[in-house]
Amino acid sequence: MTVFKTFWKVVKKYKGTIILYTTLLIIFGGLNMSANNQSTQFVDSKPDILIINHDQNHKLSNHLVKYIKKHSNLVKIKQNEEAISDALFYRDVNFIIDIPKNYSQDIMNGENPTIHIQSTGDYQASLAQMLLMRYIRVQNIYKTKTHDEEELIQKINHSMDKKATVELTSKLDISKTSNVSTYFSFASYSIMAVVIFVICLVMSSFKERKLHKRTIISSMNYKTYNRQLLLASFLYTCIVWLLFILLGMFLFQDVLFTTRGILYMLNSFVFSFCCLTIALFISTVVSNKNAVNGIVNVIALGSAFLCGAFVPAEWLPNSVLNIAHILPAYWYIHSNDLLKKVEILDFNNLKPIFINCLVMIGFSIIFIIINNIISKHKQKFN
Amino acid sequence: MKKIIEVKNLTKEYKKLKAIDHLSFEVKEGEILGLLGPNGSGKTTTINCLLSLLKFQEGTIKIFGKDMHPNSYELKRKIGVVFQEIAVFEELTVYENIDYFCGLYISDKETRKKYIEDAIQLVGLENYKKFYPKQLSGGLLRRLNIACGIAHKPKLIFLDEPTVAVDPQSRNNILEGIKRLRDSGATIVYTTHYMEEVEILCDRIIILDKGKILAQGTSTELKELANIDEKITVEVEKISEKVIDKIKRFPTIHEVNLNMNTLIVTYKKGQDNLGKLIDCLKDNKVVYSKIFSERPTLNDVFLSLTGKELRD
Amino acid sequence: MFWHNFKYSFKTLIRNKTLLFWTFAFPILLGIFFHMAFSDIEKSETFDVIDIAIVENNTFHQNKFFQKTFEAFSQKGENQVFHIQYVSLKKAKDLLKKEQIIGYLQMDDEVHIVVHSSGVQETIFKYIVDEVISNQKMIEDLASNEIGQEYSKENATIDYNKIYAEITKLVYSDTESLDNVSKTNLSYTMIEYYTLIAMACLYGGVISMFVTNYKLANMNCVGKRTSISPISKIKILTGSLLASYVVQMIGLALLFIFTIFVLKVDYGEHILPIFILAITGSLAGLSLGIVVATFVKAGENTKTGILIAITMLGCFLSGMMGITMKYIIDKNIPIINKINPASMITDGFYSLYYYPTFHRFIFNVVSLVIFSILMIFLSLQGLRRQKYDSI
Repeated sequence: MTVFKTFWKVVKKYKGTIILYTTLLIIFGGLNMSANNQSTQFVDSKPDILIINHDQNHKLSNHLVKYIKKHSNLVKIKQNEEAISDALFYRDVNFIIDIPKNYSQDIMNGENPTIHIQSTGDYQASLAQMLLMRYIRVQNIYKTKTHDEEELIQKINHSMDKKATVELTSKLDISKTSNVSTYFSFASYSIMAVVIFVICLVMSSFKERKLHKRTIISSMNYKTYNRQLLLASFLYTCIVWLLFILLGMFLFQDVLFTTRGILYMLNSFVFSFCCLTIALFISTVVSNKNAVNGIVNVIALGSAFLCGAFVPAEWLPNSVLNIAHILPAYWYIHSNDLLKKVEILDFNNLKPIFINCLVMIGFSIIFIIINNIISKHKQKFN
Repeated sequence: MKKIIEVKNLTKEYKKLKAIDHLSFEVKEGEILGLLGPNGSGKTTTINCLLSLLKFQEGTIKIFGKDMHPNSYELKRKIGVVFQEIAVFEELTVYENIDYFCGLYISDKETRKKYIEDAIQLVGLENYKKFYPKQLSGGLLRRLNIACGIAHKPKLIFLDEPTVAVDPQSRNNILEGIKRLRDSGATIVYTTHYMEEVEILCDRIIILDKGKILAQGTSTELKELANIDEKITVEVEKISEKVIDKIKRFPTIHEVNLNMNTLIVTYKKGQDNLGKLIDCLKDNKVVYSKIFSERPTLNDVFLSLTGKELRD
Repeated sequence: MFWHNFKYSFKTLIRNKTLLFWTFAFPILLGIFFHMAFSDIEKSETFDVIDIAIVENNTFHQNKFFQKTFEAFSQKGENQVFHIQYVSLKKAKDLLKKEQIIGYLQMDDEVHIVVHSSGVQETIFKYIVDEVISNQKMIEDLASNEIGQEYSKENATIDYNKIYAEITKLVYSDTESLDNVSKTNLSYTMIEYYTLIAMACLYGGVISMFVTNYKLANMNCVGKRTSISPISKIKILTGSLLASYVVQMIGLALLFIFTIFVLKVDYGEHILPIFILAITGSLAGLSLGIVVATFVKAGENTKTGILIAITMLGCFLSGMMGITMKYIIDKNIPIINKINPASMITDGFYSLYYYPTFHRFIFNVVSLVIFSILMIFLSLQGLRRQKYDSI
């Protein structure tokens, strides 16, 4: 078992890498925990709005502020132009309403003062604009009928009370499962980095030319030697997987100890195994450590970006997703996304997940076969 | 003869280790001085101090009669160094490497070109000019390392173990080159732990151990210190304690050692020692296969001075 | 002598494949990934037509107001809000299950909305329905008022249709006067590319560190050889650093060309300030490399690791791994980004892109220059010391 033991000694050298990517995963998982909670009741989305009120202490403008406040999150920002502009750019606010001076008075005098707005142009901003426009429209209509500020406010309130009833069909609390899915999807990056990177580096240590020569001439059977290496890397992969699962259990106990949780685990195990075969394949083809470093970084980052580990897959352009089909991480993340939404765990609903697993296993088999062909070829001719 | 290097009381201490201990010596113009000592005896540290790369606690160093400082550029111009490690750019070819380092000393392009060719010829790398260091074997790499150090035709050359791990062909080539450098007027300081090289090459030898000078002088002078004159080695099949005792009673004997099947007999003076030994073995019916007599080596000198081998 | 050094440093740099990969190719690859991942994010956030269904039943058919209003909302053109399918209840349920619509409207005694989950699109759907309801109510209200008034005037010939039409016109006249004064350059994914440029600039430190290491006797043997040559270390270093700067600028130019022409990154309209920012940014990277090379007492790999860690941390704080990070830092602990060169570069580009004035840009450029000078000054102190305690 010398080879087996040496493997772990070399792995130890790369503990920094393992710790780094695990920490990233924890930070990422932890950040997402604090995301908003969704319940099974319909909840209005509330845009972030900043109101700059130049017409303070007037009933009408105060009422406008009150109305906006009810339907949005009012954001407080330093009243300086640069801070406000920055806030808009970085989406700290979606919509800025600038109520002009003498607004209430002008309205009561029958004028139509202009309100300056700034908008990020996204859904939230559109929502905010709708809120504002609806209010002003109602206000302007009733203004033609009354000249009393109090009465106007009353009429506005009255016209806005009646509402449609809303019913939600989804009985699944997506906020929890979506946290778990995000965690596992991001974990694809950590798994790739930790499994592929470390195994490739360790393998390249073993395959360094002089060392490799020494191994070949040693009395140890080459097959035994290889078997020990394979066993060690498989065990290493399992440990990494287990580490990430335990972390996940710690963060999301309530989801992971269910059937759904077992599916998450199964999915990530198949993916880890696939990463192992990729790692072995790469280490057969490339032995230069510098090259390994570059290739693995490109593969891990590329997979993460293209398949939706960093950015949710639903936001990725279709063309990118089409390309991503050739990457195992795509199928893995796709399963995670499905697990987020599936309400009833029956065979029909889970079929796509099993298919994804089969695709990943298919990838693994292809890598193993190519790996075997190449390494046999190399042994003979080098 | 002019003194090229004058070192007085040089002392260099690391945190716990005294690497050089009040070292004083001189190097005269045109000679090859050998610094001989086992690994860790302070040879390289001495050179680094001489070159003003290392700080030291005590002592003065004069080169060409002047104090040596990091900014003594006029002195540095006349010095060439071949370090123990291979100090070349991986990304540059053989020719480019030599050109770069030579260029730090010689700015005139035409002169430089000629000098580079000379250096390449000296170390015998004519066929490898366009090779990258990665493509060279260990011996050729050593030769390149030397060429980079001496291409600017320095007056004073430090060679720090230039032949470590080198094949015999390259070694001969290197040693020949060093002789030619001396013949062209350079003064050379040569460190090594190969005593054979020192014996062939050096005019004067300093034996160092633990940062101190154990002895100095020419090879012959040093060997006298060892108070042995002849060493006879015999390969025997079997020899009894009794016979060894008999040999030990020879009048000129210095020491008798039996190591496995090898009998080593050293003598204080040499006079028909071999004949008497053979007679003694014959009389006692000791079967022997090989027998040879030799003059003592510097290793024996070192052995008798310190009680340990040069290479351990 | 200067050019001799320059020439050979340049040669060593452009022949080092690993170095070139990380400083030239890697930022470009990362840029491609950014482009692929982020190109649709903003598009997906901007207002898109929302797919809904309306259940066709008697109540809906009788309510002309609702019919007309929703027809208007689904009219093709700039103001289209909904794409509506008029279907049976069963079909609507089916569509919702297949997620082809976000929800459907069902009118009975009450107006009823069914959606799959809570979300922005769902909220917009609900708001619009609410608005239609309240408009309808308002029209009824106003109309009855008007009719009541006509009655009280004892007008025998009340033209109901006319009143109704007038009121409807009033309700739908665009009386609200809003003026959108937001800046046009609001694409925040640009920040990603700016951090990428910042990363490339600071990665230049790896190049300058590489040449500096060759001058340090305690780093490698070539350094020893350089130290014993008859030329001052600073003099030799100047030529090499210029070479590393040139290599760095070539890499940066490639990255700029790639991001501008292939990835269509918008750096604002001013060429000269962009150029100034690029050269000062690279200078900051270069000086960072020298400082790490001079003061960190460790092997070459550790030094590179430290430099890359500093760079990545800087980029992280300036928003590479999440754009809001820069904003959070700017808002809460601005001092960190005031001393973070990656943030100075990112913020410089941001201010060029977003702000019409130059004062923020100039502040960033000046900060970069001060940072570089400080780093170079520090390194000189370290480099001047030419003897070592141990090698």
